[in-house]
Amino acid sequence: MPKHEKILLKNMETHGYTGSLADYERTGGYTALRKVLDKISPAEVTEIVKKSGLRGRGGAGFPTGVKWSFIPKDHPGPKYLCCNADESEPGTFKDRQLIERDPHQMIEGMLIACYAIGAEAAYIYIRGEFVLGAQILERALAEARAAGYVGRKILGTDHSINIWVHRGAGAYICGEETALLESLEGKRGLPRVKPPFPATHGLYNKPTVINNVETLANLPHIINRGAEWFAAIGSPPKSSGTRIFCVSGHVARPGNYEVPMGITMRELIYEHAGGMRSEKPLKAIIPGGASAPFLTTEHLDVKLDFESVAQAGSMLGSGGVTVMEEGTSMVWAALRLMEFFYHESCGKCTPCREGSSWLVQTMRRIVDGRGRKSDLETLVQLCQNIAGRTVCAFGDAEVAPIMSTLKYWRSEYEELIQQAEAAGLIQLEPAAARH
Amino acid sequence: MLKEKYKTEIADILSRYPTRRSAVLPLLYLAQKEEGYVSEPAMKEIAGILRLTTPQVYEVVTFYTMFQVKPIGTFHIQVCKSLMCALVGSDTLLAWLKARLGIGPGETTSDKLFTISTVECLASCGTGPMMQINDDYYESISEAKLDRILADIQRDGTSPLKSGPFMLPEPAGAQGKS
Amino acid sequence: MPDTAVDTLRVTIDGQSLTVPKGTLVIEAARQAGVMIPHFCYHPKLKPDANCRMCLVEIEKVPKLQTSCSTPVTNGMVVRTATTVVNDAHKSVLEFILANHPLDCPVCDQGGRCDLQDFSHEYTPTTSRFVEIKRVFQKEYFSPLIEKEMNRCVQCLRCVRYCDEVMDVKALAPVGRGTMTEIKHFGSHELECEFCGGCVQICPVGAITSRLSMYEFRPWMLKRADTICTYCGDGCRLTIQTKANQPIEVNSEYGAGRNDGDLCPRGFFGYHVSTHPDRITQPLVRRNGTLVPATWEEALEYVAETCINLKLKHGPGAFAGLITSRCTNEDLYVFQKFMRLVIGTNNIDSSARYGQINGVHALRRVQGTHRWTVTFEDLSAADALLLVGTNVTETNPITGLKIKEAVKKHGAALLTIEALVPAVGKISNIANLSTHDFPGHPDQFGTMVLSLIKAVIEEGLIDADLSRRASSYVQAITEALQAISWGSIEATTGATSAAWREAARVFAKAKRAVVVVGQGVLRHPGGPEITTNLLDLLLLTGHHGRPGCGLAPLAEENNDQGAVEMGAMAEFFPGPRDLTDRQARERLMSHWKEEIPQAVGRTLTGILDGAKTGAIKALYVVGENPVGTLPPSSGAKEALARCEFLVCQELFLTETAALAHVVLPATSYAEKDGTFTNTEGLVQPVRTAIDPIGESRPDWEILSTLSVLMGYPIEYGDAKEIFKEIRSVIPGYALLGPVPTPPRPDADAVAQYLERGYAEDVLQRYRVRTREADVKGKGGAKTLALVLTQSLFHSGKFSTRAKGLLQVEATGKLALNPLDAERWGLGEGDPVRVANERGEMITTVTLRDRLPEGLATYPEHFDEQARVLMPLTIDNGTGVPYYRSARVEIEPLKDVELERMR
Repeated sequence: MPKHEKILLKNMETHGYTGSLADYERTGGYTALRKVLDKISPAEVTEIVKKSGLRGRGGAGFPTGVKWSFIPKDHPGPKYLCCNADESEPGTFKDRQLIERDPHQMIEGMLIACYAIGAEAAYIYIRGEFVLGAQILERALAEARAAGYVGRKILGTDHSINIWVHRGAGAYICGEETALLESLEGKRGLPRVKPPFPATHGLYNKPTVINNVETLANLPHIINRGAEWFAAIGSPPKSSGTRIFCVSGHVARPGNYEVPMGITMRELIYEHAGGMRSEKPLKAIIPGGASAPFLTTEHLDVKLDFESVAQAGSMLGSGGVTVMEEGTSMVWAALRLMEFFYHESCGKCTPCREGSSWLVQTMRRIVDGRGRKSDLETLVQLCQNIAGRTVCAFGDAEVAPIMSTLKYWRSEYEELIQQAEAAGLIQLEPAAARH
Repeated sequence: MLKEKYKTEIADILSRYPTRRSAVLPLLYLAQKEEGYVSEPAMKEIAGILRLTTPQVYEVVTFYTMFQVKPIGTFHIQVCKSLMCALVGSDTLLAWLKARLGIGPGETTSDKLFTISTVECLASCGTGPMMQINDDYYESISEAKLDRILADIQRDGTSPLKSGPFMLPEPAGAQGKS
Repeated sequence: MPDTAVDTLRVTIDGQSLTVPKGTLVIEAARQAGVMIPHFCYHPKLKPDANCRMCLVEIEKVPKLQTSCSTPVTNGMVVRTATTVVNDAHKSVLEFILANHPLDCPVCDQGGRCDLQDFSHEYTPTTSRFVEIKRVFQKEYFSPLIEKEMNRCVQCLRCVRYCDEVMDVKALAPVGRGTMTEIKHFGSHELECEFCGGCVQICPVGAITSRLSMYEFRPWMLKRADTICTYCGDGCRLTIQTKANQPIEVNSEYGAGRNDGDLCPRGFFGYHVSTHPDRITQPLVRRNGTLVPATWEEALEYVAETCINLKLKHGPGAFAGLITSRCTNEDLYVFQKFMRLVIGTNNIDSSARYGQINGVHALRRVQGTHRWTVTFEDLSAADALLLVGTNVTETNPITGLKIKEAVKKHGAALLTIEALVPAVGKISNIANLSTHDFPGHPDQFGTMVLSLIKAVIEEGLIDADLSRRASSYVQAITEALQAISWGSIEATTGATSAAWREAARVFAKAKRAVVVVGQGVLRHPGGPEITTNLLDLLLLTGHHGRPGCGLAPLAEENNDQGAVEMGAMAEFFPGPRDLTDRQARERLMSHWKEEIPQAVGRTLTGILDGAKTGAIKALYVVGENPVGTLPPSSGAKEALARCEFLVCQELFLTETAALAHVVLPATSYAEKDGTFTNTEGLVQPVRTAIDPIGESRPDWEILSTLSVLMGYPIEYGDAKEIFKEIRSVIPGYALLGPVPTPPRPDADAVAQYLERGYAEDVLQRYRVRTREADVKGKGGAKTLALVLTQSLFHSGKFSTRAKGLLQVEATGKLALNPLDAERWGLGEGDPVRVANERGEMITTVTLRDRLPEGLATYPEHFDEQARVLMPLTIDNGTGVPYYRSARVEIEPLKDVELERMR
């Protein structure tokens, strides 16, 4: 039973709600837009969002209002809003639900954001695999245009805001904001050197804000019910509002659960997701998507907010909570994630490109029963040589599974290596050759 | 070729962006829809429309996994193999597919009907194991469900078991999908 | 000293404090402090990409290491480049790269000059702990000239970025993702590009190398000679690397020379021209109708004797001389001294007559000096550039790079009046960067320039000061242009008056404006007039004479500028000075101590006429090839055959040399010392790279020896001595060009022109020329304008002896606009007959998007058949022969006809 009021999932959980414009308007949709257009100044809207404490729901958790305030005022020429609907972080599936079930909520949020930053054009960068989602969005946008919410001179004001859907084509890295911009510009999705930042040099080198789907979906509610209302939910002041946590793995009821930030992992897993799927007890949790370090049963009472999870040595990330039961090999799990990162590495910078290939090969060998004693030291050092040395956060992300599983389940690695030794494979140390 | 058949679509696509180059992904999708893969003549044509060199189009095509540069089977079965699906049996799904179709990842059936690929996370982690066949998602796959899906597809080219708008946990009182 | 917060910043690198301009990157500041931070992907010519992560440094107060290539200096920044942490970071990056790098050093052409080797030597431990499997790329053939070994690639993307940012060609693409990213062109297709060699030069490892010299050497075996390229007028600095007296490869050092390390295919791959097996290695004398080898003694004595006799019998006026602009200044100077002093005639001409001289006369007339009043730097820094008939990326590629830089990096406005339509292709197209493009045929260029001037006048953009001091000049031009209606302009040029007005506004309002004019104007009828009109444009807009502004005609051959300045022209003394210039004559005579003939001599076509009529009995040709250059309608072959005595100093047995009575083997640019003067007017040293082939000798030396035998010794110990004399004959030569600052126009000359000089021909210049080929290829008519043009891969006929260049372009093809081709049922590679009243040629079609409709082009380098179609007209004023365009009919050749022809 949900103990907390749902905000983002409320509409779609109402029986018979189809996500159409009519349905959305019936539940009070586009009220916030009307409230804001020409009645509250763009600067004030930004202030409201700042006061609400809303932080990015994509993974980085940057305060949304602050991000908007980086857009230069009085900038001549176009500014852009990009909605990051590239949801590709393993373990995450909330944006998909928001898009497919209540597209107008997000669209209204986009219009509010565009108004606040002075953007007349916005693109929804949606991952290519979300074919249904893109279709639903196109339909919703057609409805919105017909109703005068999107396009030229919306709702009879002088503001023109156009929104287009732009499909990606299968690249996790395009969820990184500057890689998203590169992809939108028609190039390979390689992250850009920062600075400069998108706020000043973004899409087509113009000031741009990139916001996640869930972040944008919150905006109509913040406008309608006030910054203070939102700020009081969850774990203010640093983690206000609700979050949609995507619970997957060995739980009884995987799914999207919108809860105020600050509930414990125990509560999320056992009270919302129905606990473990079998009698096998819980062994490991990834709290925030594949890029988040693993946590153990010792961390069940950590609160799911930005600070607490960070203090526990992981991160809130995308909100993808994956639960693993006893009997799951942590080395195998780390390898699976490493395969993901190896596949998705864009190849721009040396440590990630070469490092991901090296790490995945070593992990494969270990899982395959051909590990060596020296491998663990090598793994750690390689991870240390990657983290903090790359163009984007992908480098820090890709070392998280190996580093955290080594930290908490080193014995599993050692066991595999001992087995390899015992299997009688000749351990060749690398020859003392010069490069 | 594309220019004649998709004149209005192309004009519409170009109108959405202030620079032509941005249209490369939408145009590549058009080309792939038309031929089943992105052929070299299509790449050349797109380069011409967008005033790019063919290498500039080629480098984009090869960066993204959803574009095929060679023809594949009519139905592209893409099985998610990321950790979250692996935890709930994606390897088993692959074994079922191997047993029924006789092919593994990277292979195509001899009648050119099916190609299997493994892909990374499709944002369906709560409903694994799952797969995407061409444009459609098929989630929470059991062996029996897989049989029905394959039979539907072989007979009709599509299956009613494909996913609709996503919600998990499923809404109370909703028609069961399995 | 206090820092000005606006412009300069203080930074400390490894304890050293220095001041740098705002915007300086940390890696650049370090270099200024003498600290080399290791890097792969950084290059001063490219936008920072920060992908190799090799240049990481410690910056105080910043928690993570930062890439110094992408971090600009902030005031008071403290940087440490060599701490343990930083060194470990370098080591880790090298470890990552070396993990997948093959052990190719023994077979890699980069070995010994490889950044990866050097940094490994400095930073890495001696053992590798990589026990996984190295990634392997299938080796594939990339192109005839450029080789690719992807296993060695460190994915710095310098090659891709150079091809994109600097060259604007975009032929290289990183393909795939992650560690299997591979540099390719397009699928499995061979590389098609400009073959400028930029990627080969910029690759820090041996992933991209030259195929021309593959496996032939190790860098430490090579001898180096820094010299100047022999092909076009840009005058690039080359380093020719040789082994055992064979040229092995060419590179160009970043920061050196006018080209700053950039080259074009001719410079980079065309160096085998000197060692072609067909080089004449011994003197040849005609005996019983055939040319047979002789000794230098025999040959020179024979020449001397014959010349003396003929001079006695017919007088010096029966002699004439022709010299190529490929020669050094020293050769050119000694040649004209020989002809004037030893022979006693002004009947001399050089290949500057083919077009360069048109620009020279126009400039001298209007501004006194024929030299550029701008430099390459001014081109890059221009706010507005107007290109007229240049096809600059193919004729003068390095000048082209400066223009590309102006547009791409500095946002300059680019107005192009060219036989080019914007179209993306395999080589760069300057029209693609154009902000205002006006495509047309060469016979429209004149009217287009008038359109621009008319627009300037009507938009009220004439410089106020000029209006005041030259009111009659302004009025005359205004009236002449009033007589030309916008209607007729729009009909002739195909562009609207609105477009011309917009272009005029942009050009006039620019602070720094440069006009660049090329072969499309200079080598076509109307050349001097159009060039003069362009100078009028600069005068009217007030740009002329201001810093960073001027007219820049592009020199086609490497020493066209030198040929004019050395006075190897019928109308000039060294300087150049007019033959009627008494001061110049006196100075010359004081050096030469002899009488110098007074009358202006015959120019090229006059010499040929003289040979035809028998007025010219003896002709001395140094490197020039009229028979192989001019169309048959010139009668050059018949004329030369009539000569009683024809002597040729040559590298190869050309069509002209084949008619000679004596052929003397000369050295190429690579086998002698001397100087070339580039299109900017910069004098640059040419250095011997290989020993003279066979018994060949420098041109000046041959003439010098001959002069001794003829009793009027002109002797020099070496090229330096000659240059010393040149400097005393032309005071300050070598400092009259762009260095230290470009010359200013001569105020008196300009004033004279504005007062009355202009009026001589203002009405002729300001009229719409009728088009010789009134075509747009409409309807059934298969008539086209055919124009001979220069290809990027060649220069004259000289480059067709370079085996590297022949691998890219070995034959001529008729280039057609695809719409024209389609209209007549022609496709790529189809055989076609091209004909007019003068003859016909059979060739194949190639499609070229960038051509305007109704225009076909053919490369002059393979024009043996094409020349037949060309009519010859001679410019009334400058004597320039025009033979580059003709009206032709084209016809697809059916197979049956082809068979019949065989």
